[in-house]
Amino acid sequence: MDVLTLAVAATPSFIASSVEFVEALTIVLAVGTTRGWRAPLVGAALAALTLAVIVAVIGVALVTVVPRHVLQIVVGVLLLLFGLRWLRKAILRHAGIVALHDEELIYQRQVAELRAQGLRKTEWDWVGTVISYKSVLLEGLEVAFIVIAFGAGGASAMSAAIWGAIAAGVVVVGLGIALKQPLTQVPENTMKFGVGAMLTTFGVFWSAEGLGTEWPGDALSLFGILAIILAISWGSVRMLNAMLPSGAEVGARNV
Amino acid sequence: MSRTISAIWENTYGLLVDDGALAIGALAAVAITWLFAVIATAAFEQLGGGLLLVMICALLLANLYTAGRRIRQTR
Repeated sequence: MDVLTLAVAATPSFIASSVEFVEALTIVLAVGTTRGWRAPLVGAALAALTLAVIVAVIGVALVTVVPRHVLQIVVGVLLLLFGLRWLRKAILRHAGIVALHDEELIYQRQVAELRAQGLRKTEWDWVGTVISYKSVLLEGLEVAFIVIAFGAGGASAMSAAIWGAIAAGVVVVGLGIALKQPLTQVPENTMKFGVGAMLTTFGVFWSAEGLGTEWPGDALSLFGILAIILAISWGSVRMLNAMLPSGAEVGARNV
Repeated sequence: MSRTISAIWENTYGLLVDDGALAIGALAAVAITWLFAVIATAAFEQLGGGLLLVMICALLLANLYTAGRRIRQTR
């Protein structure tokens, strides 16, 4: 695997997947500490299996069957939608308009909800299994999408993206096991800002290339596109700070 | 069954779309770039990527400016 493949597939896949794994870990930890570990671990394992099947079937089919330029356009457009959604929310969070994502708060809320539901010791904890399965599957679907998108460049890129995501999973789960608490020290909001910019960058790159553009320097131009998008994003935060100096703390769905 | 399909659709839609105007704008930017590719094939090879990048950046700025203005008016 060459350095450029590593830079444009494995690294963004690792960073983006880390954010999603941190969110899934928070829910699994909340279920495990309140209701016991067997049920949520089974739920998480089943979700991981489901995701592996999704990536294997869709990912491999995409890079081997679909013509390259069609794949670039489809993945590019999906990445644009996905990336702009992340980036917009991250900018609104950094401008103080939407509340920052707080793993500790999410963990405490989840623990309180689960304690309120109670648990009969003699039965298999289906609630714990389902909550764990759903949270890992939903966050994991984003990981699967990220892997497929960053790996759309071909078999080598797909392999790099998969290894990036696996490494992220190992690191996050390892830290979770070691610390036995949500990873609140991870700069999740800043990472989401970066991931949103990266996804948008790849979206612009793939879409235009799929339509027939030749980027100067080919994949190297990704760094230039990323710099421009980060500059625009930083400018947007400054613009919103000037418009709303005291922030707003509006619900994310109401902006 | 229909509830499951509905949940899958909602999750998939939610994964990609948070703000409808931004999503439609992004699709429109790609469509304009595609039109440019059809009309001016030679120029597109050099300028198509830059055109899409400029449109996406302008779209993001305009969307966030509108959001900021809307919140300022409601406060």
